[in-house]
Amino acid sequence: MTATIGTGPVVREGSAAAGDGTPSRPRRARPLITYGYWWWALPAIAMVLLIHYIATAGGAFYAFTDWTGIGDFNFIGLDNFKRIFEDPALIGSLKNTLFLAFGFLILTNLFGLLLALALNRSLKTRYLLRVLLFMPVVLSPLAVSYIWKFIFDFKGPLNSVIGWFGIEPKVWLADPTLSLWAILVVMAWQTTGMCMVIYLAGLATVSQDIEEAAALDGASTWRRFRSITVPSIRPSIAIASTLMLVQGLRVFDQVMALTGGGPAGDTETLATQVYKQTFALSNFGFGAALALILTLVILVFSVLQQAATKDRS
Amino acid sequence: MTQLGHRRFRRLGSVVAVSAMGALTLAACGGGDDDSGSGGSGDAVDSFTFTFGNASGATDSPFQQLADAYSEETGIEIETKALPPDNYGLTLRTQLQGGNAPDVMVVSPGGGQDAAVLPLAEAGFVEPLDQTSEDLIPEGSEGLFTIDDKVYAQPTDITPVGMTWNVGAAEEAGVDAPTDQSSLLEACKASADAGKSFIVLAGAVPPNPGLMAMSISATRVYADEPDWNAQRADGDVTFADSEGWQDTLQTIVDMNEAGCFQEGFAGAGFDAITQGIGGGTSLATFVPGGAATEIMAHVPNLELQVQSFPPADGGTPYLLASPNYALAINAKADDATKKAAQDFLDWAADPENSAEYTKVSGGVSISGPGEDLSPVYEPVRDLLESGDFAPLPNLEWPNPSVYDSLATGIQGLLTGQGDIQSVLESVDKAWDNG
Repeated sequence: MTATIGTGPVVREGSAAAGDGTPSRPRRARPLITYGYWWWALPAIAMVLLIHYIATAGGAFYAFTDWTGIGDFNFIGLDNFKRIFEDPALIGSLKNTLFLAFGFLILTNLFGLLLALALNRSLKTRYLLRVLLFMPVVLSPLAVSYIWKFIFDFKGPLNSVIGWFGIEPKVWLADPTLSLWAILVVMAWQTTGMCMVIYLAGLATVSQDIEEAAALDGASTWRRFRSITVPSIRPSIAIASTLMLVQGLRVFDQVMALTGGGPAGDTETLATQVYKQTFALSNFGFGAALALILTLVILVFSVLQQAATKDRS
Repeated sequence: MTQLGHRRFRRLGSVVAVSAMGALTLAACGGGDDDSGSGGSGDAVDSFTFTFGNASGATDSPFQQLADAYSEETGIEIETKALPPDNYGLTLRTQLQGGNAPDVMVVSPGGGQDAAVLPLAEAGFVEPLDQTSEDLIPEGSEGLFTIDDKVYAQPTDITPVGMTWNVGAAEEAGVDAPTDQSSLLEACKASADAGKSFIVLAGAVPPNPGLMAMSISATRVYADEPDWNAQRADGDVTFADSEGWQDTLQTIVDMNEAGCFQEGFAGAGFDAITQGIGGGTSLATFVPGGAATEIMAHVPNLELQVQSFPPADGGTPYLLASPNYALAINAKADDATKKAAQDFLDWAADPENSAEYTKVSGGVSISGPGEDLSPVYEPVRDLLESGDFAPLPNLEWPNPSVYDSLATGIQGLLTGQGDIQSVLESVDKAWDNG
């Protein structure tokens, strides 16, 4: 960040008076050190408005049309939205999206926190283990998903392993009762390391002295965790849960790579339906309506989540 | 810097920032609209652009070889671009909409696929073609290329679609090609007893079960009513009420119950097909005829043939065969480029050049089966010669969602997620929504 030392006269509140003795309107004080000027941000703001918000608003307009992606279109009001809420397959996609988002939120935060607590202090190999557990985060979700697709394959290693215990092989990614769980496992496996790092950063701020004092006073491990650790890492909880919820709501890569939305649309999410309708089936207007709903869902749940994790102290 | 200078600098900075943003915005809005084609309107051109879909880049594509042969003979340079087939239609539509599409492009006949020519023609993106192109359209397929008596695409060859049969694996299993449904179900059992699956299916990829359903529908639906799609378009029939389509889906259920498919078929991808049919662990599969030639080219000593899918007991054999690819000209190209492109299409329509193309594509010559018919199609020669075939049904369907509903529905039937009636009703719904 650029710091600028102000060159103009510094006027402090309460000391302002006109030379003729009449009371003058108090001028706003200028701090001794300022950090840039507001208009420096103009290019960035303009680009964000132009590329992000105006383009999004333009896309949202098509949600009220029957445009196929080429040629002319008709304005059809709310017909696309009616179709969405009358189609059981699309309602199923919404349910899958929420299942994956909240399952992802819970699993990544739970295991991320447990790993962070385990690798926070004392363990000699903690730095190596942190690196190993964080490594999946830096890999491409598509690459990770294709590796897991091989693992889940009917003739893959997972079925070989369960075969040793006399369990019949399963079609993990084509079984309507297992496929969504398989996707959730892959998502959580890859991203738990990210939550672990966020919680490790939070745990670094927990005072060891207070913990030791509480221990000397006879507080149990659980009591120390609940009354000292959790309040101290509340900002980390807010960040990790927000990131995971939003990431879970817009899940796309893992679904496309593992199941393609199958079997028979059983693992479709709103994001995959947006892609399929817009680009594969040339229903651009309908896809735009789905995208608008996905945006609203993310917005609503993000606001609710922020409210739930707000620091009320 | 003095305070005055500082203020001036600040004002200047604001002006520069706003001006820069305006310039960037205008540049972004105005860029990328450079119509291809060399030479101005009315002048002869010595080059044009040509785009087609090909998974392995341009080198293996029959379209690349067609372009190379034309360039060698005429000296006209053709700048080719092979796009990934997964999103070929999307890319093409985006380019056409953006005004930077190629001069000549490969499209799908009809309106049921993502690179289909009829929606592009309706939107004014492709140019009407001349009489030479019109003369190539097989009888009964006119509706796939024509709007208001104007032809918008030139077919390249005919692709038969049936059951691709591994001759060697069948001999090993001691199984003959079935001739009706009863012998089909018996063949499934005999294959399983021999340690092979009768059919290898990419169950996790909806288009493969979808192609299987269409292949079966040839004898159950289109043999008796070749104009069934026209009747559906007129609203005289529906999928849900069609006995033929119900029989088609029931056949799939029966085949599943008889163990016709390989183990774990529901989760299998296209790699299972190449491994199963190429490795001889399966006797048959459902792929377009051209793919049989392509698989044979990569697996030594493999002999594949295209068989028509066995009819219901007491039924007569029937086949699906139609042009799967066609050439179209960009309507936004300048006149001289359009003429050069039409010259290329006329050259490609020449029987000798068409035959060369067909050798590489693995299809059947657009003029019909002749002495040069590939041995792959020998079992269906009679059907092709007698005209006992209908176009691939989804080419005539009104939008890609119809085929998607059918394909996804079949996938659900095989994994126990639906029933025949609900699948056919969803296909009707997709048709009506389009």
